[in-house]
Amino acid sequence: MSDMEKKQFGVLDRLLRVREFGALTGLLMIMAVFTILSNKFLTWDNFISIFTTSSELGIIAIGTCFLMISGEFDLSVGSVFAVAPMLGALLSNAGVPIAIAFVISLIAAGLIGLLNGVIVTQAKIPSFIATLGSMMFFRGVLLAVSGGFPIDYMGKEAGFLNALGGKIFFGMRASGIWFILATIIFSVILNRTKYGNHVFAVGGNAGTAKAVGINVVKVKIINFIIASVLAGLAGFTMFGRFHSIDPTAGQLLELEAIASSVIGGALLTGGYGSIVGAFIGAFLIGVLRSGLILAGAPAYWYQAFIGVILVISVIVNTKIRKAVAG
Amino acid sequence: MIVNDSDKIRMIRENLVYMENIVVKFGKVVALDGVDFYVGRNEVVGLLGDNGAGKSTLIKALNGYHRITEGNIYFDGKHADFNSPKDARDAGIETAYQDLALVNLMSISRNFFLGREPERKFIFFKMLDQKKMDEIAARSLKEVGLKNIRAMQETVSFLSGGERQAIAIGRANYFGAKLLILDEPTAALSVTETEWVLRLVKEAKESGLSVILISHNAYEVFDVADRFVVLQHGKNYANIRRDDTDPEELIEVIAGRLKK
Repeated sequence: MSDMEKKQFGVLDRLLRVREFGALTGLLMIMAVFTILSNKFLTWDNFISIFTTSSELGIIAIGTCFLMISGEFDLSVGSVFAVAPMLGALLSNAGVPIAIAFVISLIAAGLIGLLNGVIVTQAKIPSFIATLGSMMFFRGVLLAVSGGFPIDYMGKEAGFLNALGGKIFFGMRASGIWFILATIIFSVILNRTKYGNHVFAVGGNAGTAKAVGINVVKVKIINFIIASVLAGLAGFTMFGRFHSIDPTAGQLLELEAIASSVIGGALLTGGYGSIVGAFIGAFLIGVLRSGLILAGAPAYWYQAFIGVILVISVIVNTKIRKAVAG
Repeated sequence: MIVNDSDKIRMIRENLVYMENIVVKFGKVVALDGVDFYVGRNEVVGLLGDNGAGKSTLIKALNGYHRITEGNIYFDGKHADFNSPKDARDAGIETAYQDLALVNLMSISRNFFLGREPERKFIFFKMLDQKKMDEIAARSLKEVGLKNIRAMQETVSFLSGGERQAIAIGRANYFGAKLLILDEPTAALSVTETEWVLRLVKEAKESGLSVILISHNAYEVFDVADRFVVLQHGKNYANIRRDDTDPEELIEVIAGRLKK
Protein backbone atom coordinates (compact mmCIF):
# COMPACT_ATOMS: atom_id res chain seq x y z
CA MET A 1 0.00 0.00 0.00
CA SER A 2 1.47 3.35 -0.99
CA ASP A 3 1.70 6.23 1.43
CA MET A 4 -0.99 8.06 -0.48
CA GLU A 5 -3.42 5.17 -0.15
CA LYS A 6 -2.60 4.79 3.50
CA LYS A 7 -3.38 8.42 4.08
CA GLN A 8 -6.71 8.20 2.27
CA PHE A 9 -7.63 5.08 4.18
CA GLY A 10 -6.76 6.90 7.39
CA VAL A 11 -9.03 9.83 6.62
CA LEU A 12 -12.01 7.64 5.70
CA ASP A 13 -11.37 5.48 8.73
CA ARG A 14 -11.33 8.52 10.98
CA LEU A 15 -14.50 9.90 9.41
CA LEU A 16 -16.34 6.63 9.94
CA ARG A 17 -15.35 6.70 13.57
CA VAL A 18 -17.34 9.91 14.03
CA ARG A 19 -20.59 8.50 15.38
CA GLU A 20 -22.69 11.15 13.65
CA PHE A 21 -21.06 10.62 10.26
CA GLY A 22 -23.93 8.62 8.75
CA ALA A 23 -26.64 11.00 9.93
CA LEU A 24 -24.76 14.09 8.80
CA THR A 25 -24.07 12.67 5.35
CA GLY A 26 -27.72 11.69 4.99
CA LEU A 27 -28.88 15.12 6.10
CA LEU A 28 -26.65 16.92 3.59
CA MET A 29 -27.78 14.63 0.78
CA ILE A 30 -31.46 15.18 1.52
CA MET A 31 -30.94 18.92 1.81
CA ALA A 32 -29.17 18.93 -1.54
CA VAL A 33 -32.11 17.15 -3.18
CA PHE A 34 -34.68 19.58 -1.75
CA THR A 35 -32.55 22.56 -2.70
CA ILE A 36 -32.73 21.37 -6.30
CA LEU A 37 -36.46 20.63 -6.09
CA SER A 38 -37.52 23.95 -4.56
CA ASN A 39 -35.89 27.36 -4.62
CA LYS A 40 -37.68 28.24 -1.36
CA PHE A 41 -35.98 25.43 0.55
CA LEU A 42 -32.56 26.89 1.26
CA THR A 43 -33.74 30.18 2.77
CA TRP A 44 -33.35 31.64 6.25
CA ASP A 45 -37.11 31.71 6.86
CA ASN A 46 -37.46 28.09 5.97
CA PHE A 47 -34.44 27.13 8.04
CA ILE A 48 -36.00 28.87 11.06
CA SER A 49 -39.33 27.16 10.55
CA ILE A 50 -37.65 23.76 10.26
CA PHE A 51 -35.55 24.44 13.32
CA THR A 52 -38.60 25.42 15.40
CA THR A 53 -40.50 22.20 14.74
CA SER A 54 -37.27 20.20 15.03
CA SER A 55 -36.59 21.74 18.43
CA GLU A 56 -39.77 20.42 20.01
CA LEU A 57 -39.11 16.94 18.66
CA GLY A 58 -35.37 17.27 19.29
CA ILE A 59 -35.63 18.07 23.00
CA ILE A 60 -37.60 14.84 23.43
CA ALA A 61 -35.20 12.95 21.19
CA ILE A 62 -32.23 13.92 23.38
CA GLY A 63 -33.86 12.38 26.46
CA THR A 64 -35.02 9.36 24.50
CA CYS A 65 -31.54 8.85 23.06
CA PHE A 66 -29.90 9.18 26.48
CA LEU A 67 -32.29 6.55 27.82
CA MET A 68 -31.85 4.31 24.80
CA ILE A 69 -28.08 4.27 25.27
CA SER A 70 -28.67 2.86 28.75
CA GLY A 71 -30.73 0.12 27.11
CA GLU A 72 -34.34 1.19 27.69
CA PHE A 73 -37.18 2.84 25.76
CA ASP A 74 -39.81 5.33 26.74
CA LEU A 75 -42.97 5.32 24.65
CA SER A 76 -44.77 7.60 27.12
CA VAL A 77 -42.77 10.73 26.20
CA GLY A 78 -45.41 11.79 23.64
CA SER A 79 -48.07 11.72 26.36
CA VAL A 80 -45.83 13.51 28.87
CA PHE A 81 -45.23 16.14 26.14
CA ALA A 82 -48.93 17.03 26.53
CA VAL A 83 -49.44 16.18 30.23
CA ALA A 84 -46.83 18.62 31.56
CA PRO A 85 -48.03 21.78 29.76
CA MET A 86 -51.68 20.79 30.33
CA LEU A 87 -51.01 20.59 34.06
CA GLY A 88 -49.14 23.89 33.80
CA ALA A 89 -52.07 25.51 31.98
CA LEU A 90 -54.62 24.22 34.49
CA LEU A 91 -52.52 25.37 37.47
CA SER A 92 -51.75 28.81 36.07
CA ASN A 93 -55.37 29.35 35.02
CA ALA A 94 -56.28 28.52 38.63
CA GLY A 95 -54.06 31.38 39.78
CA VAL A 96 -50.70 29.70 40.40
CA PRO A 97 -47.84 31.86 39.06
CA ILE A 98 -46.71 30.38 35.75
CA ALA A 99 -43.10 29.89 36.86
CA ILE A 100 -44.23 27.81 39.83
CA ALA A 101 -46.76 25.94 37.67
CA PHE A 102 -43.89 25.21 35.26
CA VAL A 103 -41.68 23.78 38.00
CA ILE A 104 -44.54 21.71 39.46
CA SER A 105 -45.36 20.33 36.00
CA LEU A 106 -41.77 19.33 35.30
CA ILE A 107 -41.62 17.63 38.70
CA ALA A 108 -44.81 15.79 37.75
CA ALA A 109 -43.13 14.76 34.48
CA GLY A 110 -40.16 13.57 36.50
CA LEU A 111 -42.45 11.51 38.71
CA ILE A 112 -43.94 9.82 35.63
CA GLY A 113 -40.37 8.98 34.59
CA LEU A 114 -39.67 7.67 38.09
CA LEU A 115 -42.79 5.52 37.90
CA ASN A 116 -41.74 4.12 34.51
CA GLY A 117 -38.24 3.43 35.81
CA VAL A 118 -39.40 1.75 38.98
CA ILE A 119 -41.90 -0.45 37.12
CA VAL A 120 -39.31 -1.51 34.53
CA THR A 121 -36.48 -2.19 36.98
CA GLN A 122 -38.44 -3.64 39.90
CA ALA A 123 -41.13 -5.67 38.12
CA LYS A 124 -38.43 -6.57 35.55
CA ILE A 125 -40.71 -6.17 32.56
CA PRO A 126 -39.64 -4.82 29.15
CA SER A 127 -39.72 -1.03 29.01
CA PHE A 128 -41.58 -1.29 25.72
CA ILE A 129 -44.61 -2.75 27.52
CA ALA A 130 -44.34 -0.69 30.69
CA THR A 131 -44.14 2.62 28.86
CA LEU A 132 -46.74 1.61 26.27
CA GLY A 133 -49.04 1.19 29.26
CA SER A 134 -48.13 4.54 30.75
CA MET A 135 -48.40 6.21 27.33
CA MET A 136 -52.01 5.01 27.02
CA PHE A 137 -52.83 5.69 30.65
CA PHE A 138 -51.65 9.31 30.69
CA ARG A 139 -53.10 10.09 27.28
CA GLY A 140 -56.41 8.73 28.52
CA VAL A 141 -56.28 10.77 31.71
CA LEU A 142 -55.45 13.84 29.64
CA LEU A 143 -58.41 13.36 27.33
CA ALA A 144 -60.76 12.61 30.22
CA VAL A 145 -59.69 15.69 32.21
CA SER A 146 -59.78 18.10 29.28
CA GLY A 147 -62.84 16.55 27.64
CA GLY A 148 -60.74 16.48 24.48
CA PHE A 149 -60.72 20.28 24.10
CA PRO A 150 -57.62 22.47 23.97
CA ILE A 151 -56.93 24.63 27.00
CA ASP A 152 -55.86 28.22 26.46
CA TYR A 153 -53.53 30.10 28.76
CA MET A 154 -55.66 32.75 30.53
CA GLY A 155 -52.92 34.39 32.60
CA LYS A 156 -51.07 37.59 31.84
CA GLU A 157 -47.48 36.43 32.31
CA ALA A 158 -46.81 35.99 28.60
CA GLY A 159 -43.13 36.80 29.11
CA PHE A 160 -42.43 33.49 30.79
CA LEU A 161 -44.12 31.48 28.05
CA ASN A 162 -42.31 33.47 25.40
CA ALA A 163 -39.01 32.64 27.07
CA LEU A 164 -39.89 28.99 26.55
CA GLY A 165 -41.20 29.01 23.01
CA GLY A 166 -41.74 32.59 21.85
CA LYS A 167 -39.94 34.48 19.12
CA ILE A 168 -36.56 35.86 20.14
CA PHE A 169 -34.45 37.21 17.28
CA PHE A 170 -34.22 36.84 13.48
CA GLY A 171 -37.52 35.00 13.66
CA MET A 172 -35.93 32.28 15.73
CA ARG A 173 -37.86 30.85 18.66
CA ALA A 174 -36.61 30.28 22.20
CA SER A 175 -37.20 26.55 21.86
CA GLY A 176 -34.22 26.45 19.50
CA ILE A 177 -31.99 27.78 22.27
CA TRP A 178 -33.27 25.15 24.70
CA PHE A 179 -32.71 22.49 22.06
CA ILE A 180 -29.11 23.55 21.50
CA LEU A 181 -28.45 23.91 25.24
CA ALA A 182 -29.91 20.48 26.01
CA THR A 183 -27.83 18.96 23.23
CA ILE A 184 -24.61 20.45 24.59
CA ILE A 185 -25.35 19.60 28.23
CA PHE A 186 -26.34 15.99 27.64
CA SER A 187 -23.61 15.44 25.09
CA VAL A 188 -21.01 16.56 27.62
CA ILE A 189 -22.56 14.42 30.37
CA LEU A 190 -22.62 11.39 28.09
CA ASN A 191 -19.11 11.65 26.69
CA ARG A 192 -17.11 13.49 29.31
CA THR A 193 -18.35 12.40 32.71
CA LYS A 194 -18.22 9.33 34.88
CA TYR A 195 -21.99 9.12 34.80
CA GLY A 196 -22.01 9.09 31.00
CA ASN A 197 -19.47 6.28 31.03
CA HIS A 198 -21.80 4.31 33.29
CA VAL A 199 -24.74 5.00 30.94
CA PHE A 200 -22.80 3.38 28.07
CA ALA A 201 -21.80 0.46 30.27
CA VAL A 202 -25.32 -0.20 31.56
CA GLY A 203 -26.70 -0.27 28.02
CA GLY A 204 -23.74 -2.10 26.54
CA ASN A 205 -23.70 -4.94 29.05
CA ALA A 206 -25.73 -4.60 32.24
CA GLY A 207 -24.07 -7.68 33.75
CA THR A 208 -20.59 -6.23 33.31
CA ALA A 209 -21.74 -2.90 34.69
CA LYS A 210 -23.09 -4.64 37.77
CA ALA A 211 -19.92 -6.70 38.14
CA VAL A 212 -17.71 -3.60 38.26
CA GLY A 213 -19.96 -2.06 40.89
CA ILE A 214 -22.20 0.25 38.87
CA ASN A 215 -25.72 0.60 40.25
CA VAL A 216 -27.58 -0.43 37.10
CA VAL A 217 -31.07 0.17 38.52
CA LYS A 218 -30.17 3.68 39.66
CA VAL A 219 -28.71 4.67 36.29
CA LYS A 220 -31.81 3.40 34.46
CA ILE A 221 -34.26 5.14 36.77
CA ILE A 222 -32.36 8.44 36.53
CA ASN A 223 -32.44 8.17 32.73
CA PHE A 224 -36.18 7.49 32.71
CA ILE A 225 -36.61 10.66 34.78
CA ILE A 226 -34.37 12.65 32.41
CA ALA A 227 -36.33 11.43 29.36
CA SER A 228 -39.62 12.36 30.98
CA VAL A 229 -38.55 15.80 32.21
CA LEU A 230 -37.14 16.69 28.78
CA ALA A 231 -40.44 15.57 27.20
CA GLY A 232 -42.27 17.88 29.62
CA LEU A 233 -39.92 20.74 28.76
CA ALA A 234 -40.48 20.13 25.05
CA GLY A 235 -44.23 20.27 25.65
CA PHE A 236 -43.81 23.61 27.39
CA THR A 237 -41.89 25.04 24.44
CA MET A 238 -44.92 24.20 22.27
CA PHE A 239 -47.21 25.69 24.90
CA GLY A 240 -45.01 28.80 24.75
CA ARG A 241 -45.46 28.92 20.97
CA PHE A 242 -49.27 28.65 20.92
CA HIS A 243 -50.20 29.80 24.46
CA SER A 244 -52.63 26.91 24.26
CA ILE A 245 -52.31 23.18 24.67
CA ASP A 246 -54.19 20.48 22.83
CA PRO A 247 -54.72 17.18 24.69
CA THR A 248 -53.85 15.28 21.53
CA ALA A 249 -50.51 17.07 21.15
CA GLY A 250 -47.44 14.88 20.93
CA GLN A 251 -49.10 11.79 19.52
CA LEU A 252 -46.53 9.75 17.57
CA LEU A 253 -43.76 12.04 18.83
CA GLU A 254 -42.37 9.14 20.88
CA LEU A 255 -41.82 7.17 17.69
CA GLU A 256 -40.31 10.14 15.88
CA ALA A 257 -38.00 10.65 18.86
CA ILE A 258 -36.85 7.05 18.65
CA ALA A 259 -36.46 7.46 14.88
CA SER A 260 -34.33 10.59 15.44
CA SER A 261 -32.06 8.74 17.85
CA VAL A 262 -31.69 5.74 15.57
CA ILE A 263 -31.03 7.89 12.49
CA GLY A 264 -28.40 9.62 14.63
CA GLY A 265 -26.62 6.31 15.17
CA ALA A 266 -28.10 5.06 18.45
CA LEU A 267 -28.39 1.33 18.83
CA LEU A 268 -31.90 0.11 19.68
CA THR A 269 -30.46 -2.42 22.11
CA GLY A 270 -28.38 0.14 23.98
CA GLY A 271 -24.70 0.80 24.59
CA TYR A 272 -24.09 2.97 21.56
CA GLY A 273 -25.33 6.32 20.35
CA SER A 274 -24.81 10.05 20.21
CA ILE A 275 -26.76 13.04 21.47
CA VAL A 276 -25.47 15.18 18.61
CA GLY A 277 -26.63 12.36 16.34
CA ALA A 278 -30.14 12.60 17.80
CA PHE A 279 -29.99 16.36 17.22
CA ILE A 280 -29.16 15.76 13.56
CA GLY A 281 -31.82 13.04 13.35
CA ALA A 282 -34.53 15.37 14.65
CA PHE A 283 -33.42 18.11 12.28
CA LEU A 284 -33.42 15.64 9.38
CA ILE A 285 -37.04 14.72 10.12
CA GLY A 286 -37.93 18.43 10.17
CA VAL A 287 -36.13 18.92 6.85
CA LEU A 288 -38.06 16.06 5.33
CA ARG A 289 -41.40 17.47 6.47
CA SER A 290 -40.69 20.94 5.17
CA GLY A 291 -38.91 19.83 2.01
CA LEU A 292 -41.72 17.58 0.85
CA ILE A 293 -44.28 20.35 1.29
CA LEU A 294 -42.10 22.83 -0.61
CA ALA A 295 -41.48 20.26 -3.33
CA GLY A 296 -45.25 20.05 -3.78
CA ALA A 297 -45.78 16.55 -2.40
CA PRO A 298 -49.03 16.00 -0.42
CA ALA A 299 -48.31 16.21 3.31
CA TYR A 300 -49.25 12.57 3.78
CA TRP A 301 -46.11 11.44 1.99
CA TYR A 302 -44.05 12.70 4.88
CA GLN A 303 -44.50 9.62 7.07
CA ALA A 304 -43.82 7.28 4.17
CA PHE A 305 -40.53 9.03 3.53
CA ILE A 306 -39.50 8.97 7.18
CA GLY A 307 -40.10 5.23 7.14
CA VAL A 308 -37.80 4.77 4.18
CA ILE A 309 -35.10 7.06 5.58
CA LEU A 310 -35.29 5.30 8.93
CA VAL A 311 -34.65 1.86 7.48
CA ILE A 312 -31.90 3.05 5.14
CA SER A 313 -30.13 4.93 7.91
CA VAL A 314 -30.21 1.95 10.25
CA ILE A 315 -28.72 -0.27 7.55
CA VAL A 316 -25.94 2.25 6.87
CA ASN A 317 -25.30 2.98 10.55
CA THR A 318 -25.12 -0.73 11.34
CA LYS A 319 -22.57 -1.32 8.58
CA ILE A 320 -20.42 1.57 9.76
CA ARG A 321 -20.64 0.51 13.41
CA LYS A 322 -19.72 -3.10 12.64
CA ALA A 323 -16.68 -1.89 10.73
CA VAL A 324 -15.29 0.51 13.30
CA ALA A 325 -16.67 -0.62 16.65
CA GLY A 326 -17.67 -4.25 16.29
CA MET B 1 -10.68 -29.27 59.50
CA ILE B 2 -11.55 -26.85 62.27
CA VAL B 3 -11.49 -28.25 65.74
CA ASN B 4 -11.74 -25.18 67.92
CA ASP B 5 -11.95 -21.39 67.88
CA SER B 6 -8.23 -20.77 68.00
CA ASP B 7 -7.78 -22.92 64.89
CA LYS B 8 -10.43 -20.90 63.14
CA ILE B 9 -8.83 -17.61 64.13
CA ARG B 10 -5.52 -18.89 62.82
CA MET B 11 -7.13 -19.90 59.50
CA ILE B 12 -8.72 -16.49 59.15
CA ARG B 13 -5.47 -14.72 59.92
CA GLU B 14 -3.18 -16.86 57.78
CA ASN B 15 -5.34 -17.00 54.69
CA LEU B 16 -6.33 -14.19 52.37
CA VAL B 17 -9.76 -15.72 51.82
CA TYR B 18 -11.57 -17.87 54.30
CA MET B 19 -15.16 -18.92 53.58
CA GLU B 20 -17.03 -21.27 55.89
CA ASN B 21 -20.29 -23.11 55.49
CA ILE B 22 -21.40 -21.06 52.49
CA VAL B 23 -25.01 -21.61 51.45
CA VAL B 24 -26.45 -19.84 48.40
CA LYS B 25 -30.05 -20.40 47.42
CA PHE B 26 -31.87 -19.06 44.39
CA GLY B 27 -35.50 -19.49 45.36
CA LYS B 28 -35.81 -23.20 46.02
CA VAL B 29 -32.63 -24.12 44.17
CA VAL B 30 -29.67 -24.72 46.46
CA ALA B 31 -26.61 -23.70 44.40
CA LEU B 32 -24.10 -24.01 47.22
CA ASP B 33 -24.72 -26.28 50.17
CA GLY B 34 -22.32 -25.62 53.03
CA VAL B 35 -19.09 -25.09 51.12
CA ASP B 36 -15.80 -24.32 52.89
CA PHE B 37 -13.09 -22.62 50.85
CA TYR B 38 -9.86 -20.82 51.55
CA VAL B 39 -7.08 -19.20 49.55
CA GLY B 40 -3.69 -18.66 51.14
CA ARG B 41 -1.65 -15.52 50.73
CA ASN B 42 0.33 -15.65 47.51
CA GLU B 43 -1.34 -18.91 46.56
CA VAL B 44 -2.82 -19.96 43.21
CA VAL B 45 -5.91 -22.12 43.69
CA GLY B 46 -7.50 -24.04 40.86
CA LEU B 47 -11.24 -24.17 41.51
CA LEU B 48 -12.45 -27.15 39.56
CA GLY B 49 -15.64 -29.02 38.95
CA ASP B 50 -18.01 -30.07 36.24
CA ASN B 51 -20.54 -27.65 34.76
CA GLY B 52 -23.09 -26.72 37.39
CA ALA B 53 -20.86 -27.76 40.30
CA GLY B 54 -21.10 -24.28 41.83
CA LYS B 55 -17.69 -22.82 40.91
CA SER B 56 -19.00 -19.55 39.49
CA THR B 57 -21.59 -19.22 42.24
CA LEU B 58 -18.85 -19.57 44.87
CA ILE B 59 -16.73 -16.78 43.45
CA LYS B 60 -19.78 -14.60 42.87
CA ALA B 61 -20.62 -15.10 46.54
CA LEU B 62 -17.07 -14.07 47.40
CA ASN B 63 -17.02 -10.93 45.26
CA GLY B 64 -20.39 -9.56 46.29
CA TYR B 65 -22.29 -10.39 43.10
CA HIS B 66 -24.56 -12.87 44.90
CA ARG B 67 -25.73 -12.52 48.49
CA ILE B 68 -25.04 -15.59 50.60
CA THR B 69 -27.96 -17.21 52.40
CA GLU B 70 -25.80 -18.63 55.19
CA GLY B 71 -22.15 -18.76 56.15
CA ASN B 72 -19.24 -16.43 56.80
CA ILE B 73 -16.67 -14.85 54.53
CA TYR B 74 -13.38 -13.46 55.79
CA PHE B 75 -11.08 -11.49 53.53
CA ASP B 76 -7.62 -10.31 54.54
CA GLY B 77 -8.27 -11.18 58.18
CA LYS B 78 -11.56 -9.32 58.46
CA HIS B 79 -15.17 -10.41 58.32
CA ALA B 80 -16.25 -9.38 54.84
CA ASP B 81 -19.84 -8.49 54.28
CA PHE B 82 -19.69 -7.26 50.72
CA ASN B 83 -23.01 -5.75 49.76
CA SER B 84 -22.01 -5.20 46.17
CA PRO B 85 -19.24 -6.00 43.70
CA LYS B 86 -18.00 -2.47 44.34
CA ASP B 87 -17.28 -3.25 48.01
CA ALA B 88 -15.34 -6.33 46.99
CA ARG B 89 -13.37 -4.41 44.38
CA ASP B 90 -12.57 -1.69 46.89
CA ALA B 91 -11.29 -4.36 49.28
CA GLY B 92 -8.94 -5.69 46.57
CA ILE B 93 -10.78 -8.45 44.74
CA GLU B 94 -10.51 -8.17 40.97
CA THR B 95 -12.61 -10.56 38.90
CA ALA B 96 -12.43 -11.36 35.21
CA TYR B 97 -15.60 -13.13 34.25
CA GLN B 98 -15.89 -15.34 31.26
CA ASP B 99 -18.89 -13.49 29.86
CA LEU B 100 -19.06 -10.30 31.89
CA ALA B 101 -15.48 -9.10 31.72
CA LEU B 102 -15.77 -6.19 29.31
CA VAL B 103 -18.32 -4.02 27.52
CA ASN B 104 -17.74 -4.74 23.83
CA LEU B 105 -18.79 -1.42 22.39
CA MET B 106 -16.68 0.63 24.79
CA SER B 107 -13.06 1.62 24.29
CA ILE B 108 -10.11 -0.15 25.87
CA SER B 109 -9.30 2.65 28.28
CA ARG B 110 -12.95 3.10 29.29
CA ASN B 111 -13.19 -0.61 30.00
CA PHE B 112 -9.94 -0.54 31.92
CA PHE B 113 -11.29 2.13 34.26
CA LEU B 114 -14.95 1.14 34.29
CA GLY B 115 -16.41 1.87 37.73
CA ARG B 116 -13.19 3.60 38.87
CA GLU B 117 -12.85 6.44 36.40
CA PRO B 118 -10.33 9.18 37.24
CA GLU B 119 -11.83 12.66 37.24
CA ARG B 120 -10.49 16.17 36.92
CA LYS B 121 -12.07 19.44 37.86
CA PHE B 122 -13.36 21.73 35.15
CA ILE B 123 -14.57 25.00 36.70
CA PHE B 124 -16.90 23.37 39.22
CA PHE B 125 -17.79 20.27 37.25
CA LYS B 126 -16.09 16.89 37.54
CA MET B 127 -15.07 15.59 34.15
CA LEU B 128 -13.59 12.30 33.02
CA ASP B 129 -9.81 12.51 32.79
CA GLN B 130 -9.63 10.87 29.37
CA LYS B 131 -5.95 11.69 28.85
CA LYS B 132 -4.92 10.08 32.11
CA MET B 133 -7.13 7.06 31.35
CA ASP B 134 -5.50 6.54 27.96
CA GLU B 135 -1.96 6.96 29.31
CA ILE B 136 -2.33 4.63 32.27
CA ALA B 137 -4.23 2.00 30.31
CA ALA B 138 -1.58 2.03 27.57
CA ARG B 139 1.24 1.69 30.09
CA SER B 140 -0.42 -1.06 32.15
CA LEU B 141 -1.37 -3.08 29.10
CA LYS B 142 2.14 -2.83 27.71
CA GLU B 143 3.42 -4.28 30.98
CA VAL B 144 1.26 -7.39 30.56
CA GLY B 145 2.45 -7.79 26.99
CA LEU B 146 -0.58 -6.52 25.13
CA LYS B 147 0.79 -5.46 21.77
CA ASN B 148 -0.57 -4.45 18.40
CA ILE B 149 -3.15 -2.07 19.76
CA ARG B 150 -3.65 0.97 17.57
CA ALA B 151 -5.20 3.19 20.19
CA MET B 152 -6.79 3.14 23.59
CA GLN B 153 -9.90 4.58 21.92
CA GLU B 154 -10.51 1.34 20.03
CA THR B 155 -13.46 -0.72 21.19
CA VAL B 156 -12.63 -4.04 22.81
CA SER B 157 -14.87 -6.05 20.48
CA PHE B 158 -12.03 -6.81 18.09
CA LEU B 159 -9.70 -8.09 20.80
CA SER B 160 -8.88 -11.78 21.11
CA GLY B 161 -9.77 -13.83 24.18
CA GLY B 162 -6.21 -13.60 25.49
CA GLU B 163 -6.08 -9.85 25.05
CA ARG B 164 -9.32 -9.55 27.01
CA GLN B 165 -7.85 -11.56 29.89
CA ALA B 166 -4.75 -9.37 29.72
CA ILE B 167 -6.89 -6.27 30.26
CA ALA B 168 -8.37 -7.80 33.42
CA ILE B 169 -4.93 -8.79 34.70
CA GLY B 170 -3.42 -5.40 33.85
CA ARG B 171 -6.32 -3.79 35.68
CA ALA B 172 -5.68 -5.94 38.77
CA ASN B 173 -1.99 -4.96 38.73
CA TYR B 174 -2.68 -1.27 38.37
CA PHE B 175 -5.37 -1.05 41.05
CA GLY B 176 -3.29 -3.04 43.53
CA ALA B 177 -5.66 -5.97 43.92
CA LYS B 178 -4.83 -8.63 46.49
CA LEU B 179 -6.88 -11.36 44.86
CA LEU B 180 -7.34 -12.01 41.18
CA ILE B 181 -10.21 -14.28 40.11
CA LEU B 182 -10.13 -15.62 36.57
CA ASP B 183 -13.21 -17.45 35.33
CA GLU B 184 -12.29 -20.07 32.70
CA PRO B 185 -9.42 -17.85 31.52
CA THR B 186 -8.15 -20.22 28.87
CA ALA B 187 -11.48 -21.36 27.44
CA ALA B 188 -11.45 -20.86 23.67
CA LEU B 189 -7.89 -19.49 23.60
CA SER B 190 -5.23 -20.48 21.11
CA VAL B 191 -2.22 -22.43 22.38
CA THR B 192 0.10 -19.42 22.40
CA GLU B 193 -2.48 -17.22 24.07
CA THR B 194 -3.12 -19.87 26.73
CA GLU B 195 0.62 -19.91 27.48
CA TRP B 196 0.64 -16.13 27.64
CA VAL B 197 -2.29 -15.93 30.07
CA LEU B 198 -0.87 -18.67 32.31
CA ARG B 199 2.50 -16.89 32.32
CA LEU B 200 0.68 -13.75 33.46
CA VAL B 201 -0.89 -15.75 36.28
CA LYS B 202 2.57 -16.87 37.38
CA GLU B 203 3.81 -13.28 37.22
CA ALA B 204 0.85 -12.14 39.28
CA LYS B 205 1.75 -14.70 41.93
CA GLU B 206 5.39 -13.61 41.86
CA SER B 207 4.32 -10.03 42.45
CA GLY B 208 2.45 -11.14 45.56
CA LEU B 209 -1.13 -11.68 44.44
CA SER B 210 -3.31 -14.64 45.23
CA VAL B 211 -5.18 -16.09 42.28
CA ILE B 212 -8.30 -18.23 41.90
CA LEU B 213 -8.47 -19.99 38.54
CA ILE B 214 -11.84 -21.43 37.69
CA SER B 215 -11.66 -24.24 35.18
CA HIS B 216 -12.98 -27.61 34.22
CA ASN B 217 -9.81 -28.49 32.38
CA ALA B 218 -7.29 -30.03 34.76
CA TYR B 219 -4.49 -30.09 32.17
CA GLU B 220 -4.56 -26.38 31.47
CA VAL B 221 -4.34 -25.11 35.00
CA PHE B 222 -2.28 -27.92 36.48
CA ASP B 223 1.12 -26.28 36.09
CA VAL B 224 0.24 -22.89 37.52
CA ALA B 225 -1.93 -23.85 40.50
CA ASP B 226 -0.54 -24.70 43.93
CA ARG B 227 -3.68 -26.46 45.08
CA PHE B 228 -6.95 -27.70 43.66
CA VAL B 229 -10.37 -27.44 45.18
CA VAL B 230 -13.00 -29.61 43.53
CA LEU B 231 -16.71 -28.96 43.94
CA GLN B 232 -19.52 -31.28 43.04
CA HIS B 233 -23.25 -30.57 43.12
CA GLY B 234 -22.68 -27.47 45.26
CA LYS B 235 -20.59 -29.29 47.89
CA ASN B 236 -16.91 -29.74 48.70
CA TYR B 237 -15.57 -32.85 47.02
CA ALA B 238 -11.79 -32.66 47.17
CA ASN B 239 -8.93 -30.41 48.29
CA ILE B 240 -5.59 -31.59 46.92
CA ARG B 241 -2.12 -30.06 46.74
CA ARG B 242 -0.53 -30.20 43.31
CA ASP B 243 2.44 -32.13 44.70
CA ASP B 244 0.09 -34.91 45.80
CA THR B 245 -1.56 -35.56 42.46
CA ASP B 246 -1.22 -35.56 38.68
CA PRO B 247 -3.53 -34.37 35.89
CA GLU B 248 -4.91 -37.81 35.08
CA GLU B 249 -5.89 -38.41 38.66
CA LEU B 250 -7.37 -34.92 38.93
CA ILE B 251 -9.64 -35.57 35.96
CA GLU B 252 -10.95 -38.68 37.68
CA VAL B 253 -11.66 -36.58 40.78
CA ILE B 254 -13.45 -33.85 38.80
CA ALA B 255 -15.57 -36.50 37.11
CA GLY B 256 -16.50 -37.86 40.52
CA ARG B 257 -15.02 -41.30 39.88
CA LEU B 258 -12.29 -40.92 42.47
CA LYS B 259 -12.53 -39.52 46.00
CA LYS B 260 -9.38 -38.09 47.50
